[in-house]
Amino acid sequence: MNVPSNVGKSTLLAMCIFWIINFTKDVSMDLAGIVLLSAIPIFICVTLVIIITICPIFWILKKDTISNYAIAKKYFPYYAIVMFGLCLMGVIASRADIYSISFFITVFITTAQSWVWFAKENKV
Amino acid sequence: MKQAIIILSSLVFSTLFYSQNIGLNLSIFSILTLIVLIISNTNKFKNKATIIYALLYLVTAAIVFFQHTTLSIITNCVVFFTLIGSITEARSSIFVNWLNGFYTTVAGFFHRSFHFNEKEAKPILKKDIDFIHWIKLIGIPLVFIIVFILLYKNGNSVFNDLISQINLKFINMQWILFSVLGYFLFSNIINPVEVEHATKLDLETGNSLFKGKNFSEEDLKKEKQLGTTLMLLLNVLIVFYLVTDIIAISTSATSNAETLSNQVHSGINALIASIVIAIVIILYFFRGNLNFYKDNKTLKSLAFIWIILNAVLVILIALKNNIYVSSFGFTYKRVGVYIYLLLTFIGLVTTFLKVLKVKNLLFLFRVNTQIAFAILMLCSAVNWDYHITYYNINYAQSVDLNYLIKLSNNNASLLKTYNDKNTLSSNNYKRINNKHTNFIELLEDRNWQEYTYENLKQSNNTKTQNY
Repeated sequence: MNVPSNVGKSTLLAMCIFWIINFTKDVSMDLAGIVLLSAIPIFICVTLVIIITICPIFWILKKDTISNYAIAKKYFPYYAIVMFGLCLMGVIASRADIYSISFFITVFITTAQSWVWFAKENKV
Repeated sequence: MKQAIIILSSLVFSTLFYSQNIGLNLSIFSILTLIVLIISNTNKFKNKATIIYALLYLVTAAIVFFQHTTLSIITNCVVFFTLIGSITEARSSIFVNWLNGFYTTVAGFFHRSFHFNEKEAKPILKKDIDFIHWIKLIGIPLVFIIVFILLYKNGNSVFNDLISQINLKFINMQWILFSVLGYFLFSNIINPVEVEHATKLDLETGNSLFKGKNFSEEDLKKEKQLGTTLMLLLNVLIVFYLVTDIIAISTSATSNAETLSNQVHSGINALIASIVIAIVIILYFFRGNLNFYKDNKTLKSLAFIWIILNAVLVILIALKNNIYVSSFGFTYKRVGVYIYLLLTFIGLVTTFLKVLKVKNLLFLFRVNTQIAFAILMLCSAVNWDYHITYYNINYAQSVDLNYLIKLSNNNASLLKTYNDKNTLSSNNYKRINNKHTNFIELLEDRNWQEYTYENLKQSNNTKTQNY
């Protein structure tokens, strides 16, 4: 499993989604520095979420005879449903504030795409 | 072709829902979804179950327009998931349909990104359009151009002035993102996907229970003794309880309704919990080989008697609730008790059938979820706020106007008529008039996407008044 590559790609994806949604409300030059700096917390968040919630599934279940694809095929649906539920709860709890919405949409799409990248690593 | 349908649908999606409340838009969206699904999965719509769910989806879409209640909106969503799940695999149980439908709706796009059928997998020889390449070709330069424009703006005042003159405010980015959300939704559902593991397991498991490998007469005899003793004692206890309960109802019901209300509130939850536990106990004893044990007749009879006695208990609770309702009128809680009791009663009947016909737990789950779905459909067809108000002001011995005023606007016109025909306290008179005025204003402020049947009624009333 190529975790660093996955985390790198996921961080870029997360940054794009998060700021695209936020820029729909307000685009300002003052935010340019914040956008660049946001790479650090986004990277930390993405790394933690991937290492804590996705990697253990592959680490525990991975065997020579079972491919990443087979694991993703079996467990991704449940993960996606639970993650969507949690993100939806987050959006509702935050009373649909734009930052919260963009954060939770980013979390859902990034984690789902991260699964796709892991599954495609060594397709049988 | 599919891409064109998805893009067109996503634009309609934005037009219908962006910055709008639910109303006519959800009904139109349901029709649109159905058209998209029929076009992209024509073969699947030859199945009876799928056709029925499609019709139910249309019915719920109409109910949303006519009733405009939260329950009707929830039901519409549930039927949407059921329909999508049915297109995925029509033979699966309804709860697996929900699972497949929900999964398709939230993650179908990602599923297809990495999914392929090993048996049918063929090398891709030709690609019509390389979307990823086009996204990279347009997206990456665009992002860098924007970043550099923002950076250069501070370096040169002439450049800054020129850039500032570009006014892109006519582009509504939120609308565009909303269209992207619509695109994501339609690309998810256009080719429904399945949770393979759950669907396969469901299709492979029947409803009947079979004799297990570890069939030990000795163990079963002990279990039967335990079950018989427990059932016998529980039967004696419930008979005793029922007798005392009947005495209590016959003596206190009509004389003091307030005491009864306390009894109902404190007792119903406990009684319903006891019935659920009763079902669990029966399911425990009849979970496996005891069903095939030759001397299980006494235990079975006791279980049947207990189920019947629990059904009597349900009827008694309904009776208590009935007395309570006739005194104080309906509330959501009291309606909820009836529905809860109905579901419990059905649960007892299906448990009876499970034991009688030696069925497994999955049978119970399948039948009960189907019945729950049917009850949800029926309940969504009722405008509860209107009917609660109608019953309370016409038939209840005492009317809690404060409660009725706090209900949704669905009862505003009814309360207004009641207000005009009766002499109420000045406070209530004012509150009801305010509620009605707010309701009328709300109807008039609605965009066409938010229209409901009330708008049509209101416009007809206005026309009649003008004549």
